[in-house]
Amino acid sequence: MPSRTALSLSGLTWSIGDDLIVDAGDLELRTGERLVVYGPNGAGKSTLLRLAAGILGERTGDEVVYMPQRPYMFRGSGRRNLLLGLEDAESNKAEMLAKRLGVSNVLGTPAARLSGGERQRLALARTLASSRPVVALDEPLAAIDAQDRDEVSAVIGDALGDRAALVVTHDRDVVVAFADRVAVMAGGRVLQVGPAQEVLLHPGGDDIAEVLGFQNVLAGTVVKSEGPLVQVACSGLMVWALGTQASGSDVRVTFGAEAVTLHTVTTPGAELTTDSARNHWLGPVRTIAEVGRLVEVVVDVGQPVAALITAGSMDGMGIEVDDQIAMSVKATAAHAVTAAKQ
Amino acid sequence: MEFLTDVLGDAFRYVADFGPELRAIVALTLLVSGLATAIGVVLGVPFGVWLGLARFRGRSILVALVNTGMGIPPVIAGLLLLILLWNDGVLGSWGALYTPGAMVAAQALLAFPIAAGVTAGAVRNLSGDAQEQLAALHLGAVRRARIAGREVWPGIVAAVAAAFGRVVAEVGAVLIVGGNIEGETRVLTTAIVQEARQSNLGAALGLGIVLLTLALLVNLALTWAQLRGEAHA
Repeated sequence: MPSRTALSLSGLTWSIGDDLIVDAGDLELRTGERLVVYGPNGAGKSTLLRLAAGILGERTGDEVVYMPQRPYMFRGSGRRNLLLGLEDAESNKAEMLAKRLGVSNVLGTPAARLSGGERQRLALARTLASSRPVVALDEPLAAIDAQDRDEVSAVIGDALGDRAALVVTHDRDVVVAFADRVAVMAGGRVLQVGPAQEVLLHPGGDDIAEVLGFQNVLAGTVVKSEGPLVQVACSGLMVWALGTQASGSDVRVTFGAEAVTLHTVTTPGAELTTDSARNHWLGPVRTIAEVGRLVEVVVDVGQPVAALITAGSMDGMGIEVDDQIAMSVKATAAHAVTAAKQ
Repeated sequence: MEFLTDVLGDAFRYVADFGPELRAIVALTLLVSGLATAIGVVLGVPFGVWLGLARFRGRSILVALVNTGMGIPPVIAGLLLLILLWNDGVLGSWGALYTPGAMVAAQALLAFPIAAGVTAGAVRNLSGDAQEQLAALHLGAVRRARIAGREVWPGIVAAVAAAFGRVVAEVGAVLIVGGNIEGETRVLTTAIVQEARQSNLGAALGLGIVLLTLALLVNLALTWAQLRGEAHA
C-alpha cells in the first residue's frame, strides 16, 4: 500500500466572508493512489479541487494538472486546444490519447463548433498527457454519454498509470470505477475517508449514509453476457447485473443495500426459485446494526453483502447473528461498472 | 438656402480638386495619427492584457487611473507635453516642439490609455470558465498573456479603432504642441479650425468630409478584421 504523500490538502480552507465554504481537514493524497472526492452538488468538492490545484488560495499547485468541471475551449482548432500548454513529448501523448478517446477526427474543427462530449474528451486528453505527477479531474465523465463511459474510464485509468489522482464527482459509478480511497464530502467538510469498498459498504455515520447510501461493491470478472445483463464471477459468488462488458472484463458490481431482500430459510433450496430476482445467495448473518430507523444486516454469502431493512421487518423475521439466511437481488438493481484500475 | 448650397458647392469643389495643400494635410494626418495609434496600441494592448489578468493589491487604483486617462482632455495632454518640450523644459534640448514628432507623442499619450483600457476590459470580461482554464494551464506570464490576447481579439480590434478614432478627431493636443504651421504641422482637424476662423466655410466643410471619410475607411477595415477574427473563432 503506497503511503508517501503526493499532495497534502491538510489545513486547506476557503471562506467567503464569514462563511467557511471548504475545510479539507487532514485530507492527503498518497503517492500512486486514486482518491475520489464524492458528495452531492454544493458540497464544496470543486472548491477543494481548485484549492489543491492552486486556482484558489495560497498553494501554487505547480505539481498538479487540473481539468475544470466545464473545460473551456479557446479560439482556434481542436488541435490548438488539445496541445495548449504542452511540451513536445506531452503533445505526442495527447494526440495518442485523442485517438483513443475518439476525437482525433475533430482536431481540425474550430473549437466553437465542438459538442460538449468532444470538448470534454479533448480536455481529458490534454490533461492526462501532462507529465505533472498529480492529476486533478473535476467530474471527468459528466459530458460523456452513458454508453461510452466504460470505455472513457478505461482510457483514463490507463493514462493515469501509477500517478496520483484526485477525482471529484457526484456520480457513484465514478467512485466505483476509479477509487482506491473515497472521501465523502458534504457541507464543505470531509465526513469520512477510507478504502472505497469499505466506505461504500459501511458509511461511518447517518450523515454519511445520507450522502452515500449503503452500497455493496463486489469486484469480479465477467463470465457471460446475456442481453442487457452480464454474469460476473466475484470471489465466492456469481452475480447477474446490468452491463454490456465482454467476457473476461474486470468489473465492479454495485447495488444498494436497500435493493437486497432477505428471506428466512425454512426449506433450504425451495425459496430460491419462487421470485423473479436473478440473484439468490445463502449464508450466515455476520452483523446486525441499527442505522437510524433502519437495520443493516450483513450476510456472508461468500463475500459480505449488506441488506438494509426496516426495524419492523427485522422483528417479524426474528433474525439473529449466525442464522442461515437467503438474500435476493434483482439483476436490474445491480450495475456492472468497468474497473479503471485493478 | 443659397448660402448653404454655396458652402456645399465650395466644399465639394475643394475635395474634388484635391490640391497639393490638401494632399499634404491628409498625408500628415494619416502619418501622425497612424504612428500615434501604432505606438499607443503596441504599448497599450500588452499593458491592458497584463492589467486584465493580473491580481495584485492596488490593481483597482491602476484600473481607475487608466480609465481616467481614457477621458483625459486632449488640451491637457498637449499642455503637459508642451511644458516638457518648452525651451527651458526637461526635454527642451530636443527641439521637438512644433514638429510632427511632438504631435505623434501627444496623440500617443491619448491613444495609450484607450488601447490599454479597452483591452483590459475585454480580458476582464473573459468568462469565469475561460479564466479558470487559463489558470489551470499553469503557463508563464507571457504565454498566458498571448493566449488571453488572442481570445479577446475582437476586443483588441475595438481598442485599435477607439484609439485611432480618438486621436484622428482631436484638435487640442496637436494644436498646442504642433502649432498648426502650414505645410509643416497642419493636420485635418487644425486645418478645419483655421479655415473656419477665416470664414472659409466651404474649405472647412470639405476638410471635414475628408476627415469623416478617412475615419469611415479605417473603421471599415477594422470591422472587416474583427469579423474575420470572429469567423475563425
